[in-house]
Amino acid sequence: MKRTKVVLLTLFALFLIIQLIRPVRNESGQAPETDMSNIYQMPESVRGIFKKACYDCHSDHTEYPWYADVQPMGWWLADHIRKGKEELNFNRFGTYSIRKQKSKLKSIAGSLADNSMPLSSYTLIHKNAKLSLDEKKLVLDWLTKTRDSISLNK
Amino acid sequence: MKIFIFSALLSTLFLAACSNSSSTANQEAATQGTDTNTSAIQAEKKEAAPADGIINGYLKLKNALVADDDKAAAEAGKVMTKAMAAFDKSALSTEQVKIYADIEDGVKEHAEHIGDNVGNIHHQREHFESLSQDIYDLAKAMGTGQKLYFDHCPMYNDSKGANWLSETKEIRNPYLGKSMPDCGSVKEEIN
Repeated sequence: MKRTKVVLLTLFALFLIIQLIRPVRNESGQAPETDMSNIYQMPESVRGIFKKACYDCHSDHTEYPWYADVQPMGWWLADHIRKGKEELNFNRFGTYSIRKQKSKLKSIAGSLADNSMPLSSYTLIHKNAKLSLDEKKLVLDWLTKTRDSISLNK
Repeated sequence: MKIFIFSALLSTLFLAACSNSSSTANQEAATQGTDTNTSAIQAEKKEAAPADGIINGYLKLKNALVADDDKAAAEAGKVMTKAMAAFDKSALSTEQVKIYADIEDGVKEHAEHIGDNVGNIHHQREHFESLSQDIYDLAKAMGTGQKLYFDHCPMYNDSKGANWLSETKEIRNPYLGKSMPDCGSVKEEIN
């Protein structure tokens, strides 16, 4: 009996302790000049879809859910966002080489088309990040059009 | 008892701190250790060109996709990643350095993705398509140690078509694999 109590207490104390280790927040404010919407002609509707469905993990500004304050969830999110930004950062799209931009536009279209993005674990909680068929078509058309407008023959 | 709890807490704190620092150390070690055994990839040829190692990795990848072999494709992707790390820029002209800089990021990324996507050959082929354009530009800029054929398949990706590089004159299609191995035609020869 006494032993169980000690174990439970220790676990609880541990839980409290890990709350002190907080990852740095991914919140740097307004969209910079290198944001994709400033690099290419982008209708407001397309921009809105990217923002609500992609920017949490693929930009320098995350809208955090409440559980981000509870560890280890916060750690997991931070790691997730770090990887997402490494792969693609909408805010820094303009810093990519033209060639990389072109290939990223293709990859975005590809991952939307095969439903690998936005992640199902994300849309489970963020219901409005799930793209409707119309939204998907709108974004895919824009991506194709934009990609075709980029020529690599400088 | 209190001492026991306190020491348990302290040790976990240390452990947490250690695990953070060790993961970054591992990453550094990984990036530094890429120069080893890459020379084995460089096939010996009479007139070697600077990008031969990268191109050989690409051809390995192409042949894996021809055979619909996602595992071999991933292996070849890793070979390419190593070849990129071992690439020697010192002998390049200014113009070549510029072209390489433009291509480098993309090629690394495609090779990495292909290496990470065992079991998803469709995705590997998507990256292979972009990669083919990059490697074509690379071969044109740096020359090649062997004759290459620039091929085109009109059917891939809902008839949008796609290109690839091959070391054989005979068409062996990496996009459609075994379903249509001979679809395509030679567009250009690169010597």
